[in-house]
Amino acid sequence: MKTVVIRILLVLAILASTNVMAQEKLHIEGSTTVGPIADGFAEVFSKLYPDVAITVNKSGSGTGASALIDSRCDIATMSRFMKEKEFKDAVDKGVFPVAHAIAMDGVCVVLHPSNPITALTTEQVRDIYTGKIKNWKDLGGPDLSIVVISRDTSSGTYETFESFVMNKEKMASNIEYVSTNPQMFGRVESTRSAIGYVGYGFVKSGVKAVTLNKIKPTVQTILNGQYPVSRPLYMFTNGYPKLGSMTHKFISFYLTEDGQEVIEDKGFVPVTNY
Amino acid sequence: MKADLRIIIDKLFTSLTGLAIASMIIALFVILGPMLYRGFGAIVFRGTVEFRKMQIAEFHHGNAEKVKQEAEKTQKVRQVVYDMIHRFRNGIDIEELENRVKDIHRNYGNELQQKDISREQYKELRDFSKEIRDKLIDTFSSDNIEKIKENIDFVLQYEMDERFVETVAIEYFTIARDFLKSSAKIDFEKRDFYAAELEELEDIILRLLGPAPDADTPMLAQKRYGATRLDQTNILFHQLFWKEKWVEQENSVALIKIENSRPEQFAGTELEPLFGYIKDNIKQMLNPKLTFYWRYFFDDSTPGHYFGGIGPEIFGTLLLTLLSMIFVIPFGVISAAYLTECTKEGPVVRIIRMCINTLAGVPSIVFGLFGMAFFVLFFIPIFGGPSQPCILAGSLTLAVLTLPVMIRASEEAIKTVPQTYKEASLALGASKFLTFVKVTLPAALPGILTGIILSLSRVAGETAPILFTAGIAIGPIPKSIFQTTRTLSYGSWDMAVSDKLAAEVPHNQFGMVVTLVLLILCLNAMAIILRARVFKKLKGH
Repeated sequence: MKTVVIRILLVLAILASTNVMAQEKLHIEGSTTVGPIADGFAEVFSKLYPDVAITVNKSGSGTGASALIDSRCDIATMSRFMKEKEFKDAVDKGVFPVAHAIAMDGVCVVLHPSNPITALTTEQVRDIYTGKIKNWKDLGGPDLSIVVISRDTSSGTYETFESFVMNKEKMASNIEYVSTNPQMFGRVESTRSAIGYVGYGFVKSGVKAVTLNKIKPTVQTILNGQYPVSRPLYMFTNGYPKLGSMTHKFISFYLTEDGQEVIEDKGFVPVTNY
Repeated sequence: MKADLRIIIDKLFTSLTGLAIASMIIALFVILGPMLYRGFGAIVFRGTVEFRKMQIAEFHHGNAEKVKQEAEKTQKVRQVVYDMIHRFRNGIDIEELENRVKDIHRNYGNELQQKDISREQYKELRDFSKEIRDKLIDTFSSDNIEKIKENIDFVLQYEMDERFVETVAIEYFTIARDFLKSSAKIDFEKRDFYAAELEELEDIILRLLGPAPDADTPMLAQKRYGATRLDQTNILFHQLFWKEKWVEQENSVALIKIENSRPEQFAGTELEPLFGYIKDNIKQMLNPKLTFYWRYFFDDSTPGHYFGGIGPEIFGTLLLTLLSMIFVIPFGVISAAYLTECTKEGPVVRIIRMCINTLAGVPSIVFGLFGMAFFVLFFIPIFGGPSQPCILAGSLTLAVLTLPVMIRASEEAIKTVPQTYKEASLALGASKFLTFVKVTLPAALPGILTGIILSLSRVAGETAPILFTAGIAIGPIPKSIFQTTRTLSYGSWDMAVSDKLAAEVPHNQFGMVVTLVLLILCLNAMAIILRARVFKKLKGH
């Protein structure tokens, strides 16, 4: 027993002492939505620059912002813009956040594929979420009461949907909340009378995206802002990074053709068009 | 009468307890059974040649020479598929064909410039090439079969023309002939329909067989290979033959799902034999073999856990758990010793005990935030450490989280040691400290070990406390305790919330969760065996 403990302690001591090898580090923290893009970039970078230790953490846009303010990360990924208070805190601590819009995302309203409705207006969607419209019959669909599903109020996707669609009206109290995109997809896929909203990457076989104000969510309509619920996704850095530094390479990777391919593969809309 | 009732109630009670146990065991099987089954799918499955290619390229496992031979063999069978699609595409993709003949014309011009010919000759040849080009472009956009035949025949009469022999322009005639062949079988009005269908078909074939050998290598590993497992192959194979569609039905507003046969959609075209060919040769194309992927427990993974194993996660979980145990055991036992041996029962002890009990009820995310605020931002920097999440901060946070459990268990264990033991020791002249170390502690050891088992299971499975203090989704394997690490619990959470691709690799998700369950079971088993041995020793056998 004693010897085992001593051995474990020895191993830990060795682990602790081999610390701090002169290795370049890049830490990325923030949104779960932008996380997959950071994953993809990190995958490519680990092949291009095997000596750089890239770490990615997905704990939410707000955590990303506070990590940047405390200088605990090099890049903060965010699915919303920084709030006034966060900017103020940052400047007070001598951090000057610079936003890089690396990709676009559309928040698409999705229904079960058995629902014959293919077009809705933002007013109709708002009425469904405020509880004014309760049955698909009222919109020309089957006689089923609508199961309304929303993302939890702390998510960036919710904030986008709320500000673009809800027009400061409150959502009804009886709607169902889920906390992630995959959950939302699964819930709508399995419920005939459901309505929900997901990021563009989750519009795939199993659910049906409707047109909003007659505009179909596609790469083009999201990129040029025609689709009413489009948003940019950001990476924030402290000041504009030093040219040629690893941080600079990472945040400008989205401008390359390879970066665009990664963003597309991860289900987002690239801002470049090759 | 009374006695009878009592017997009945007794029996009822016994059977009820039995029922409770039985239902618990059934629930365990119902919950764990399917999970275990699907989790084992990550280790034992039928891996295709794509899996072996991936293993060589991404992880350098396997016999490269053998896999290369296998890949070449399967490539031969696959080439037929690519050729068929290529030929069919030639018949319908007008834009692509136009671009190609334009390229040929341009290249022909470049080639002529290299040759030693006069200005007039050059102009004449180029004009002639232009005429052929325009004729072909005109043909491609036509939907009159007679006109197409006429045009193509016109072009083909120059095939043996000495002006074109041994130049790039000879390609004109290959294209012309291919186009004539495919357009003879095609309904021109359905061209756009075929183009859209072909795109879908090509996407399925891409996911089944991986990128064609002459295509560019995709940036992400998840796109570089076809179906690596037989279960994926079967799903794609079904999609290849059946196209899902939602259509209106009679006397109901709701739509209904039907499956259209894809081969029927392409009936009569050049692509029709493709389906039969794939059906007959799918085995040779992918060559599935029973694979025992034991390296799953050691391999690193590609970001997003699409391919590979969970080695770094297991390592990180073990490291965090054991380190936090090293912190919590001494603190827990000493606190318990203080509460039972060194003080008298009174208001102060009662308050301390109440605090400990309250601590046990605090949600784990609160400990996570506390860990970040205290250990990461304050405590470790005091000693000159980096003010960053790291394994040390994570394990300290986990130690605080599980301290109440440890204290309570140790306290109870120490209390159960008979007073006579201590009295005997003290009577022999031993000091209070010596009595505790030599007599009380060994006798209480089994109980303390129970506390360790309980905390161990809790610590290994916690996500929230390490979210801000030690865990990361992607990163290198830690080289010191001042770096961050991946863990099984954080990894499972990450897979579930972020990437849409995780849904395509459910076996990896289940594999990770099952590994976490089994790891905790193993750690527990080790502790239980240790406890049994200590118990035996105490009994004096």
